[in-house]
Amino acid sequence: MTSGTDVWKGYLLAWDEPYTLIQSPFAKDGTRVFGADSDYTTLAIAALQHRNTLGEAIECISLADGVNGSIFTMATGVEMADEVTYDSCKWDLLIGDDATVVLIQRDVQIELPELETHVEVDDDFHMAIANAWEKELQDGHVSQGAYVSSSQYIEGGVARMALSGQQFGELLVWPPRQLNEKGLREDGRVSLTPVGNVASWTKLSAAGAPSEFSLRAPLLGGLTTVLLDLEDGPKGVFLMVDDEENVIKIGDSVELVVRRIYAQEGMIRYGLRGRII
Amino acid sequence: LVMVDVAVVGAGQTKYGNHSLGLKGMWAEAALNAFESVDGDFSPSQIDEAFIGSIAFGGSQLGNTAALLTEHSAMDGVPVRRVENACASSGFAFRDAWMAIKSGQADVVVAGGIEKMNDLTPERKRFWLGVSGDTEWERLAGLTFPGTYALMARRHFHEFDSNHDDLVHISVKNHAHGAMNPLAHIQKQVSFEKAAGGFMVADPLTLYDCCPTSDGASCVILAADHVVKQFTDTPVWVRGSGAASDRLALHDRPSITQIKATAEASKKAYQQSGITPRDIDLAEVHDCFTIAELMATEDLGFAKRGEGGAFAREGRGVLNQGDVTINSSGGLKSKGHPLGATGTGQIVEVFKQLRGEVADGRQVRDAETALTHNVGGSGATCAVHVLGRERQ
Repeated sequence: MTSGTDVWKGYLLAWDEPYTLIQSPFAKDGTRVFGADSDYTTLAIAALQHRNTLGEAIECISLADGVNGSIFTMATGVEMADEVTYDSCKWDLLIGDDATVVLIQRDVQIELPELETHVEVDDDFHMAIANAWEKELQDGHVSQGAYVSSSQYIEGGVARMALSGQQFGELLVWPPRQLNEKGLREDGRVSLTPVGNVASWTKLSAAGAPSEFSLRAPLLGGLTTVLLDLEDGPKGVFLMVDDEENVIKIGDSVELVVRRIYAQEGMIRYGLRGRII
Repeated sequence: LVMVDVAVVGAGQTKYGNHSLGLKGMWAEAALNAFESVDGDFSPSQIDEAFIGSIAFGGSQLGNTAALLTEHSAMDGVPVRRVENACASSGFAFRDAWMAIKSGQADVVVAGGIEKMNDLTPERKRFWLGVSGDTEWERLAGLTFPGTYALMARRHFHEFDSNHDDLVHISVKNHAHGAMNPLAHIQKQVSFEKAAGGFMVADPLTLYDCCPTSDGASCVILAADHVVKQFTDTPVWVRGSGAASDRLALHDRPSITQIKATAEASKKAYQQSGITPRDIDLAEVHDCFTIAELMATEDLGFAKRGEGGAFAREGRGVLNQGDVTINSSGGLKSKGHPLGATGTGQIVEVFKQLRGEVADGRQVRDAETALTHNVGGSGATCAVHVLGRERQ
């Protein structure tokens, strides 16, 4: 196995045989901080996804508190360790005091590398976004946005987080249907490649954005949404992430990464969002 | 089985805009205007059945909306139901009314629609404006209807010879028509320069590409051929009714530069009425956004596919100047868009146009045949009707 450093899913990455270190590229006063829609869960998912690209078959993992286990499993297919399975799991996922996550083989002692690159964030922007998320997550906050119930959200979770599609004969469909084109239940689930080209895009002004985003859209200068022709065939509509500096064009290549979307009823709704490659 | 023919014998509406009246008052006004528009003797007691389109925006009377309305318009006891198909609710209410008579189960039927939109906070309004799109995928990707139509516009510009200036032409035209319509929400002309430089809502769509949110109600009275004479000597015949549905979400459609439901619905309506798009003198087209009108001119067959931009640029939909007058009322852009009321509001306009009852320089010359086009959401549902002075 090779070791190295890279940018992966919008995060900074270093890896070697016994570990994957992943960090937010943003910093404030020298400390790593999360971007507008990232947290330990999104970092953890990205770390595991990278490990998969190395051919590492991780089946079970012990997750640190602070990582949403059910979201992690929906996105990666990897089970969290519980009291029964803990001893048989060979990997731990640890979180740092800052926006850092380490996926590491159990009982390995190693000095992790320092990743120097970072983007200094605006203090006011960072605080305002953090406050907006906190307010969105409060029990008393009632979203005026689209009501996607928790059961509906979870039913579509694997499709939303892991880009799981459905094969109907020659036809590849995403998101999956409840019944196939003949009206029958069929479970030909396939994972699609999370890459596509921009078929169209728009940037909604803060005033025009859906009201579930009303706390954050003004801070972000609006919301950018793309219609992607996915590499494997189907189309999908995705919100972009960390796109303040990007100018999008039809035909641009976009990769899909797991990030926060919005919060409802005290629950953060995660999903795939687009990043220009 | 002998199928009856169906005619519109009365039609009325409120002014569209910001109303001080609530649901009950607006509906009563529209119904009374429709009753009074009947040339002969008419009593609400003659109504056999009623269909009222509404999203029930705001949720103030989400259940049994229709019964509340008949109670307040002298239609007590009439079998009634709310028809909900997003912005195409009353287009489908009209189709249901037509089918009730066609089937022989009713002779006199009311179709109408209503929406009260401007008594909500901006946040609640934005919630209700989004309930008819694909909630699970599009909405969670940050899209509202301006966003979905913006995606269509940008793709159309990419695939065909069209651009934002073409949309500006549509906006300017519809405002010019609406400025002459005393029932329109926005009764003022807008210059090309002003419309081109509007506040960006969803790039590339500006404020002048988007219809306003309006309060309003509309009501029409349909009658079977064997009772029409009781009511009028100048009925407006329903010559064709077509409807279709499509995938709710844009990402499930093969193309986003065409509203397939419109193409399918119009094909059926043309077939039934035995006419072609060239026979249409005026069309009330669902221009919730200017790009929607541009695409509709293609989907309805007034322009070839990809040539909707040129159609708009060359003024081929301008009142009494082009191939066909598009949105003589001002359309949704200027007349306004009280969601549930829009479909039957379009019927009110063509009823008056075909009977030569429109004043203020807005009358379409020699209008014989008209079309209405009512779309739900971003094209998941569509109802198209062909109406004419002649029975066939």
